[in-house]
Amino acid sequence: MPSKLAPALFLLCWAAGAQTTPAAPAASSAASPSASYVGSETCQPCHEDIYNAFQKNPHKVVDTQKRRGWEARACESCHGPGGKHAESAEAAAIVNPAKLAPADADRACLKCHLNQPTHIGRIESSHAKNEVACTACHSIHRHGPNGLVARRAAAVNEQCASCHTAVWAQFQRPYRHRLPEGAMSCVDCHNPHGSILHASGRAYAANEAGCFRCHGNLRGPFTFEHAPVRLEGCGACHEPHGSANPRMLARAEVRYLCLECHANLPTAPGPVKNPPALGGVPPAFHDLFLPQFQNCTVCHLKVHGSYVSQELLK
Amino acid sequence: MRLALAGLVAIPLLAQQPAASPTPSTEPVVTGSIDLGYRFTSIGGDNDVYRSVVNLGQGPRLIGLDFSITDPRKRLFDRLDVRANNWGGDPYNTVTVNAAKQGIYDFHFDYRDVAYFNLLPSFADPLLGTGIVLDENSYFTRRRMSDFELDLRPGHRIIPYLAYGRDSGQGTGITTFVSDVNQYPVADRMFDKTDNFRGGVRLEFSQWHATLEQGGTTLRDDQEAYAGGFGAGNNPQPYFGQTLDLTSLAQSYGVRGDSIYTKALFTANPFSWLDAYGQFLYSRPQTNVNYSQYNAGSFVLLSSLLFYTGEQALGYTTAKQPHTAGNFGFEVRPLKRVRVRESWSTDRLHTSAAGLLTDVILQPPSAAQTTPAALTGMLVMNYSQEQVDVLVDATPRLTLRGGYRYAWGDAETPGALVFGGGTQSSELRQQAGIAGITFRATQKLSFNVDFEGAATDHAYFRTSLYNYQKMRARARYQLASKLSLQAGFTLLNNQNPTPGINYDFLSRQNSLSAVWTPSKRVSVLGEYTRSTLRSNIGYLEPEFLSPEVSLYRDDAHSASALVDLALPAYNKLTPHLAFGGSLFISSGSRPSTFYQPLARLLVPLHRNVAWKSEYRYYGYGETFYLYEGFRAHILQTGVTLSR
Repeated sequence: MPSKLAPALFLLCWAAGAQTTPAAPAASSAASPSASYVGSETCQPCHEDIYNAFQKNPHKVVDTQKRRGWEARACESCHGPGGKHAESAEAAAIVNPAKLAPADADRACLKCHLNQPTHIGRIESSHAKNEVACTACHSIHRHGPNGLVARRAAAVNEQCASCHTAVWAQFQRPYRHRLPEGAMSCVDCHNPHGSILHASGRAYAANEAGCFRCHGNLRGPFTFEHAPVRLEGCGACHEPHGSANPRMLARAEVRYLCLECHANLPTAPGPVKNPPALGGVPPAFHDLFLPQFQNCTVCHLKVHGSYVSQELLK
Repeated sequence: MRLALAGLVAIPLLAQQPAASPTPSTEPVVTGSIDLGYRFTSIGGDNDVYRSVVNLGQGPRLIGLDFSITDPRKRLFDRLDVRANNWGGDPYNTVTVNAAKQGIYDFHFDYRDVAYFNLLPSFADPLLGTGIVLDENSYFTRRRMSDFELDLRPGHRIIPYLAYGRDSGQGTGITTFVSDVNQYPVADRMFDKTDNFRGGVRLEFSQWHATLEQGGTTLRDDQEAYAGGFGAGNNPQPYFGQTLDLTSLAQSYGVRGDSIYTKALFTANPFSWLDAYGQFLYSRPQTNVNYSQYNAGSFVLLSSLLFYTGEQALGYTTAKQPHTAGNFGFEVRPLKRVRVRESWSTDRLHTSAAGLLTDVILQPPSAAQTTPAALTGMLVMNYSQEQVDVLVDATPRLTLRGGYRYAWGDAETPGALVFGGGTQSSELRQQAGIAGITFRATQKLSFNVDFEGAATDHAYFRTSLYNYQKMRARARYQLASKLSLQAGFTLLNNQNPTPGINYDFLSRQNSLSAVWTPSKRVSVLGEYTRSTLRSNIGYLEPEFLSPEVSLYRDDAHSASALVDLALPAYNKLTPHLAFGGSLFISSGSRPSTFYQPLARLLVPLHRNVAWKSEYRYYGYGETFYLYEGFRAHILQTGVTLSR
């Protein structure tokens, strides 16, 4: 029996084992019981540039607000007690969140930011799942309008594109949202902290697709809905990052996009449950050799939904 | 808005006057810059396509404005930041204002005015073969978006906030009036406006947080299509010997809508090993629509083969869509190296609509008839998913992730009209396995791989994700202190083998980027992406319902580069030359090329004054639609004033 328990005990010990990298600052004082806090003023002589920039940084409130518990010790709120480092001036004697594993670095931020609205989607966001640390986007010490995080549309796009290279390449296509021109930024549509919507999409009016923030006239509700818009979102037909189609459709020609769905085998009249796929049968009078029928939206104008026509004709 | 902008421009310029105060340390400090210039353009090829893709015009411009005011005495604000870009006739105008006073308020204002022009003959022109170049789905609109947000007592435990946003659009275009057998291109006007009001309170405590928000929107959407004079339409062929034409049209929509919505969010970490979160989101948009239409000409009613010359239609509809969404989840850390994340979410909506459309054939008197039709619409969607992820820090440098997601739901939609309407209902059942690795080999080298594979026994649509694999891999390597590389790969493979569908979809992107700074005077940035897409799907050719396969291919190369050189300095001022640009070349179903090379020169004339010039070339071409190509040379030159 003990021999059977041994592997389990080993795994348990391994999983519970202390990490070899410096722990999060909150735990670092426990890891270094002899370390003591020295206050932010002590950091100034050697780190003057950072100290000066920090005075104009939003994080300065950590130094000044009593209720946060780090009054006059803002530096050590993230870097842990600095007594040893102040004595020895060795880099290894203090925690550097930039060199920690992302989860540990994030813990330093989450000490204060855990219970804020941004945390709602954080755990489920792909950034958190892929261990992208807060510091990958946020510069903790810098000041100015673009200090803590990029604010200008062009700066935001540049920052996102530095990792999402293939996505940025889609914006080099001729028909795209106006990001390369600086009229929009990635965070207009995506919430980098995570969202209840697919692809960290921003929600509009609580739970609707963020696309409706600018395209409010397509929001409806319509008397006759085009089902994919509601069931799968705008991305069912559109490539919002960029496309070869003038309306940013997922196919170069509109008829091919429509026919991919509107091509079911005929089903029996009346209520139908679980057909191979939802979507109307193509009416038989459409002769696709005629240019008149090659542009579906010439007749089916209200393709997002119509108030008066079930065929989405007006 | 322009007056407001002029005021904003004046502030930093006035503030640049020498300070007369004997105690400058207590006076507001203004820093920032303003870019003024003139743009010259030379355009060849299709001007409509140029306007649809680029749309930059010639003339004087306020290229950029960026200034900050910090007030040491903290009277009205601690800091005020204003940014504005591309004013003076450009299609993208933006202004952003941020003002904050610590512990008192945080204010944000954002304004954008974006012009959209879209006229591409290849998109919707059934008459193109006859030599008539007229996109029947074209428009020229401006969208203006304003957002105001005010947080009160930021940094305190209780933070009330208010926000208002307006999105409006107006413009003109070409649309079609559709009648049986023929359609007629007609002019249309559109105007829509959505106002969004919201307010709430955030409660932020050390172990929990809650946000409660109540909001509402109002919508006004007016559309008018009109025509006067003879129009032969897209189908000039006589029908049973009768020519079908349009001589007069007045068609209008008046849409009025509103919505209330509620948001309740919470987070909590009652124990050091547990973080929990949840949200409840509810909205109930509704619309009321008045529709009217009067058309004269020569038409046919196919259902009774009735020819007529005048028609009027009046309609009223109302639609509601209660929509509820929510999620709940937690991260538990039972052991130091292990994180378990569990989440559950749901999204449910139900559209129900009713109305009446009365169609009256007015002329000739012999054909006069009134046809009232009740309009009823519905759509139901219920979606839920549950997911669990386990993250294990196998070593300090290696994190492994595994998980499982189950998504299920049902939907009900109207059935196909040609088979008598009724309803269709469908179910969704999908199980997905998730895996990921993050490996930080050294500070200079890291890998990240993310994989998701799913099996489905029922999906809603033919092109929905069915049996699929998604993968994303990324590697970063700092080869030397002055050279860093990044490579990425993404893949989506989706297969639906259901007979009659046979959907085979594969897309791949490979990318490589490099940043090289061989010296302080030179920096080079380059990116290259190759993306391929293959889509095969069976469909029924509509006229004869014979099975065919729709093939779509796209093979694209995108590259961008920028070389920045610091030229020899003079009077402690360093000019800069940058050149590069981007290109896009694709082959496949719609081969096209789009070249955008650029060169920039910045010559400082004084410590606070610089001369800036930029040259750009836009070259666009499509193999199958040669007439849509254009070439544009754009030179912009101006000065930057800063302090």
